[in-house]
Amino acid sequence: MNQRIRKGIIAFSFLLVTAPLLAQDKYFTKSGSIGFVSKGNIETIQANHRSVTCVLDSRTGALQFAVLMKGFEFKKALMQEHFNENYVESDKYPKAEFRGQVVNNSDIAYTKDGEYKAHVKGKLTLHGQTKDVEADGKINVKNGKLVANSVFTILMSDYNISIPNLVKENMSNTVTITVNCTLDPLKS
Amino acid sequence: MSKKRIIIGGIVVVILALATYGWYQYNRTVKGLHDVRADYSVNATALINEFISNEDSANKKYLNRILAVKGVIKNIESGEGAGTIVLGDSTDLSGVRCVLDSSAHSKTASLQRGALITIKGAITGFSKDETGLLGSDVQLNRCVISE
Repeated sequence: MNQRIRKGIIAFSFLLVTAPLLAQDKYFTKSGSIGFVSKGNIETIQANHRSVTCVLDSRTGALQFAVLMKGFEFKKALMQEHFNENYVESDKYPKAEFRGQVVNNSDIAYTKDGEYKAHVKGKLTLHGQTKDVEADGKINVKNGKLVANSVFTILMSDYNISIPNLVKENMSNTVTITVNCTLDPLKS
Repeated sequence: MSKKRIIIGGIVVVILALATYGWYQYNRTVKGLHDVRADYSVNATALINEFISNEDSANKKYLNRILAVKGVIKNIESGEGAGTIVLGDSTDLSGVRCVLDSSAHSKTASLQRGALITIKGAITGFSKDETGLLGSDVQLNRCVISE
């Protein structure tokens, strides 16, 4: 057999063997949970989302979240309507997205069970505005899965979300966001 | 004197009516979809393809609507609340993800992968996959299982 072809075959089979291994570096979920709370003097606004997509590349620490704004569930119907129509304008801006990085990625042993602190930096796009965001969280490695948690705050004014003057006194500009995702290894 | 009384009485009635209406609106909870008629009845794979081929026009057509989606159960995920049922082709990464309403919980126990069902829910949009690894999804919430 020609030397070159043989080398090619070896290289190709090497690729075949290693490609799935490389893909195992990635973890994902499509049913992550993100909640938010904004506590004002009179009104507390609270909602939860149960279909958050999240992908983490454990090799590079690249982290990505995608959220469909209409998927936030409120207890009060009027609040949900106002949230979609007046505040985040979900018809115009249907998605929110975060693209960032686990800054201390090398501190996390993704193959060893345990709880690790994670510091995340990146860009959050919401209501058509993109801002830098930084948050602390935890990654819990257990039986090959990752449980990722974080709580951080954003300001509505940073994302051009305006509160009508009438209710300005009663509502808070600060929103506390809670992230809770269980990521499975991505098998290809 | 009596005329004045009537006017004052009328004003009080109007204020009370407005307050009651306001109170009702303020406390109104998100309606369950059991008794709501679906705006569209669609096939899961056809719905996905419609979004893949033209997301904008599909968004215009479907967003803020109630959909009855018929499809094969690809996966049943338990999770926070009542869980999620994924409809679609099992060989395809893409699917229709239906987050169940808490009222639908009791019915999920009898469901099995591979069964054909119809789920009614509020469509929340299309999550397009940019990585090529996950597949794109149409998402629904407040879902109930249609009879």
